[in-house]
Amino acid sequence: MVSNESKKEWKIMPSSQVVFLSSVFAFYLVLWRVAPEKTTLAVRASIGILSSILLPLGLAFLLMIGLNIFLKPLHFAKFLGKGTTIKRTLLSAGAGIISAGPIYAWYPILKDLRDKGAEHSLIAVFLVNRAVKPFLLPVMISFFGWTYVLILTLLTLAGSLLVGAVVGFFLDSPTGSQ
Amino acid sequence: MKVAVPAEGPNFNARVSDRLGLSPYLFIVNLESKEFEILRSPRDSGGSGTGMQMVALIIAKKSNVILTDWCSSIAEKHLSAHGVDIVTGMSGTVAEVLENFENTLKIQEEKVEELAPLARKIDRRVVAQAVLSASSRFKNLLPVMMGVVFLVGLFSAFISEEFLASLFSGRIWWDSFWGVSIGSVFAGNPINSYVIGGKLLELGVSLVAVTAFICSWVTVGLIQLPAESAAMGWKFAFVRNLSCFVLSMAISFLMMLIMNLFGR
Repeated sequence: MVSNESKKEWKIMPSSQVVFLSSVFAFYLVLWRVAPEKTTLAVRASIGILSSILLPLGLAFLLMIGLNIFLKPLHFAKFLGKGTTIKRTLLSAGAGIISAGPIYAWYPILKDLRDKGAEHSLIAVFLVNRAVKPFLLPVMISFFGWTYVLILTLLTLAGSLLVGAVVGFFLDSPTGSQ
Repeated sequence: MKVAVPAEGPNFNARVSDRLGLSPYLFIVNLESKEFEILRSPRDSGGSGTGMQMVALIIAKKSNVILTDWCSSIAEKHLSAHGVDIVTGMSGTVAEVLENFENTLKIQEEKVEELAPLARKIDRRVVAQAVLSASSRFKNLLPVMMGVVFLVGLFSAFISEEFLASLFSGRIWWDSFWGVSIGSVFAGNPINSYVIGGKLLELGVSLVAVTAFICSWVTVGLIQLPAESAAMGWKFAFVRNLSCFVLSMAISFLMMLIMNLFGR
């Protein structure tokens, strides 16, 4: 990250992600002195994991590009206030599935939707479906197999509807007005 | 958008005129600001060529479109030459015709928006932007994922299977509970939960615990709870997170049952 607080002097600030990675490597250096054999085993295990996820990561990158081109979360979000309950619920689920980035970035949009009358249940469905990440499916399949991933994805989708119903029961009035 | 409507009377309940040149009044309505003008037709001056005077008036008022029942080919030629769109076959009162036109515009706008994602397909700039966006997300994701992978390496080398066995005893209720509890505390990209979950499975931790851990990683957020409460209210945050905690446990049990059925 580059900070431009001063126009004359540019400061290069390391991001929190890089700090985290550097800390892990520093930890490795400390452990290397204490227990070199076990640390070597740890490095080998890590390289093994990295090599096994290299190809799925490449696929994930391509899928991410495809999703960026064809689908926009805000396009879904725009329609959350329209149509039948089933249509709006499915659109909430779809928006949750294709949503990306940290959840903090989504809270203002969700609050805005809520202020415009979107039901609590729809927002709950959206949040649960963030667990389904289409572009990460190749990575997930490489670890757990496609049967596991398929069933877990279907159960998460079905579960999101249940959570939506529970949240709607406690927070949304039956007439739709809150 | 400015819309011109020839009418039989000076109010919105008046009927739209059949012919432009014979119309006694002309409405000029701004659809965005809802401002309007009602003009007397040049026909009342008694001279000839009132149709063309009406056309000149429409052009002078910078109208974008005219809504009428019928328009002569000469008037149509002059209006088109000055960028005025002509919509014919419009009958009813001025208010009805304007409402129908606005509804048609809205439907067309929605159709354009629905087709927009497909239209982007051929735009190279959109593809370049998509590649840049994906690269940026990967650039943010990779350092943390690498760090997690190397931590998992340490975990597998230094944490004994006996320790894991003491934490995850194999009793499904406790395994599920601990899996969800640990997953609820962690946050971040789910790819990290896959890496950790995959290693836990290799080390002999039960499928129930790993599934509960993966499910709760994204759906339950204890760390994000204050932010969620601030945005959506504490009641929503509490009910949703508690529901997701229970859901993660339920899914872990179901996954175990279903995977057993598949013989895995």
